[in-house]
Amino acid sequence: MKRVLLLTGKDFRRKWKNPVVIVGFLLIPVVFTFLFGIIFGSSEENVLPSIKVLSVDQDQSLFSRLYLSTLTQGELKDMIDLQSVPTEEKARTLLNKGKASALMIIPSEFGDKIWAGETTQVLLVKNPSEQFLPQIAEEISDTTALLFSALFQVFSEEIDQIREFSEQSEIPDQIISSLSVKIKDRIQGIEKYVFPPVISLKQITQKKDSESQNNSLTVQSYILPAISIMFLMFICNIVFEDLLREKEKGTLLRMSISPLRISEFIWSKILAAVIIGVLCSLFLVILGAVVFSIGWGRTDILLLIVLCLNILIAGFIAILYTFIRTERQAGALLSSVIVVMALLGGSMTPISSFPLFIQKISRFTINYWGLEAFKKNITGEPMGQIWPIVLGMLGAGIIFAFISSLLLRNKLKRGLYR
Amino acid sequence: MLKISHLSKSFDKVQAVNDISLEVKQGEIFGFLGPNGAGKTTTISMIAGLLKPDSGTIEVDSMNIQRSPQRIRGIMGVVPQDMAFYEELTARENLRFWGRLQGMSGKDLEQQIQYYLNKIGLKGREDDPLKKYSGGMKRRINLIIGLLHNPRLLLLDEPTIGIDVQTKMSILESIREASQKGTTTVYTTHNLFEAEDLCDRIAIMDQGKILAVGTLEELIQIVGEKDIALIQGEFSTDQAQKIISQEKGIEVITMKHGYLAISLDASKKIPSLMKSFFNLGVSMDDISLKQPNLESVFLKLTGRELRE
Repeated sequence: MKRVLLLTGKDFRRKWKNPVVIVGFLLIPVVFTFLFGIIFGSSEENVLPSIKVLSVDQDQSLFSRLYLSTLTQGELKDMIDLQSVPTEEKARTLLNKGKASALMIIPSEFGDKIWAGETTQVLLVKNPSEQFLPQIAEEISDTTALLFSALFQVFSEEIDQIREFSEQSEIPDQIISSLSVKIKDRIQGIEKYVFPPVISLKQITQKKDSESQNNSLTVQSYILPAISIMFLMFICNIVFEDLLREKEKGTLLRMSISPLRISEFIWSKILAAVIIGVLCSLFLVILGAVVFSIGWGRTDILLLIVLCLNILIAGFIAILYTFIRTERQAGALLSSVIVVMALLGGSMTPISSFPLFIQKISRFTINYWGLEAFKKNITGEPMGQIWPIVLGMLGAGIIFAFISSLLLRNKLKRGLYR
Repeated sequence: MLKISHLSKSFDKVQAVNDISLEVKQGEIFGFLGPNGAGKTTTISMIAGLLKPDSGTIEVDSMNIQRSPQRIRGIMGVVPQDMAFYEELTARENLRFWGRLQGMSGKDLEQQIQYYLNKIGLKGREDDPLKKYSGGMKRRINLIIGLLHNPRLLLLDEPTIGIDVQTKMSILESIREASQKGTTTVYTTHNLFEAEDLCDRIAIMDQGKILAVGTLEELIQIVGEKDIALIQGEFSTDQAQKIISQEKGIEVITMKHGYLAISLDASKKIPSLMKSFFNLGVSMDDISLKQPNLESVFLKLTGRELRE
């Protein structure tokens, strides 16, 4: 054991003196988490950016202006940035250039058709390169159109009367006064339902407290562990590359002509991989808590998850090295396996979005089990649900490590002295 | 200290080492001399316990290498051809690591590190990473790692390849000093001058066999007082054979088309030999003479020059 620790210490010192690659691999999950946080939002106040909508009013009537003005009233004013464009052609050019999320076209007979009591429509063209904002613009336009229609139905009798007299050159004062009274009565009739509204929407943003913080799975608390597991495997691979490099360089040969056993050499690599992996994981955990406000759940369980996950990763990578002869092979095979496992295991896309048969395959990946353990601890699942995962990772890791130490011993001995 | 009996090893159908036997005494510097592929490295790797012999036995300090490999490796040091250390670490860190791996610790280890750093002129650079060292400095560190724990048996596999004269002298000096302290050294080389200069005894190896073993003087006795003449020209083997048959006291070592290596008393025989070539109308492009030394011994034993 003394010699294993001596070798592990040597490996740790070497990596410490040349940390560029490991630091690079550590930064990638942090950058990913940061970017995903920006894209999907994470803070307590989910502030939506204003949606730029172009409008082409081909009608230029009272009704078309009335319709468009409803989109810039009240709270919608903060959500919609409505910009009037003179022609449809120019508006479509701007939309193609990505200058807006949607284009609203009011057709030329819009006002006339409403006036005539006929059905009319507003054309909404969405920007195909955007996903969310055009969708929201569509929802808002739908709602506005519905309200507008409702308004015309409520005041349909009055509008009909106005239409009858509109063709006359002069409307008698008596008629105007009668209409005013009718409209006033109508408004008074609906006043008790409208002013104040019977149903009002109160917007409340849930404040996070220490209790609920542990129970919420945010974008960051999913992305950071998911991507980190993938890059912990790459970091582990850096340690195991030394198996081949030391053989190539002759240091393993020199060690072989010392009291050291080859199996001690292999175990020192496994131990170094676990220690370096745990330290990197803790760095990411602390960074996640400080920078992204991730509530990782119970600390003691978190430490256990980190330890067992890294034992599993080290054992698995060691097993892969029993199939590898050269550093080039290691680069090709390991990268492929790690990326495929990350894809299948939920490090890149949530597993729930996969077809059922792929979800079953996911269970054979390290990423799946690591993520499950982190998620369950973050959401405050009971210990009974976390223990089996942690013990499974530990058991599999130890079994992998033992098998690989046996297979690698013979492999490393072969061709040691050229 | 080292006893090898009927040692053989083959790889597939190639006989790398073929029934060799020898003994090396305590404190002796023993050299394996031979061209690449002679079997030197295979022999040394079997002594180190890295390769299992097909047959034969190796005893180090009366212990069988196959029965007690761990104990024997504890008293062994090795200096491989490659720079076998960690370039990211400093000289001191490297020496500490390799010393501890051999079971050294504390004050003994630090004193030994200091002693060797002073000796090889690296004091003041000991805390620089080895990647900043020159090739010669790295070679010296490579040697010290093998010597640090005062091994009883030191195995050196061509440790002076590609280095400057000053570093080579420093390395040979360190080996001599270790030998004086009682370290038995087994040294492989294809450098004749190094072998002549350093080794107490030499085994000449070729194609897996030991052709001769002895001190430099004993080996030179093989060629006796005669010189070796190497003649090159435009002649056939028949023509060469005809000329040689006319002369007495000439022993043929190698005869090929356009090349003749012979053992003779040069002062007496060269003039008549040149005359015979002239009379036969054969042109001679070059003739060179070699005094009795390891090179001529190797030539005599193998029929070819060591550099071939």
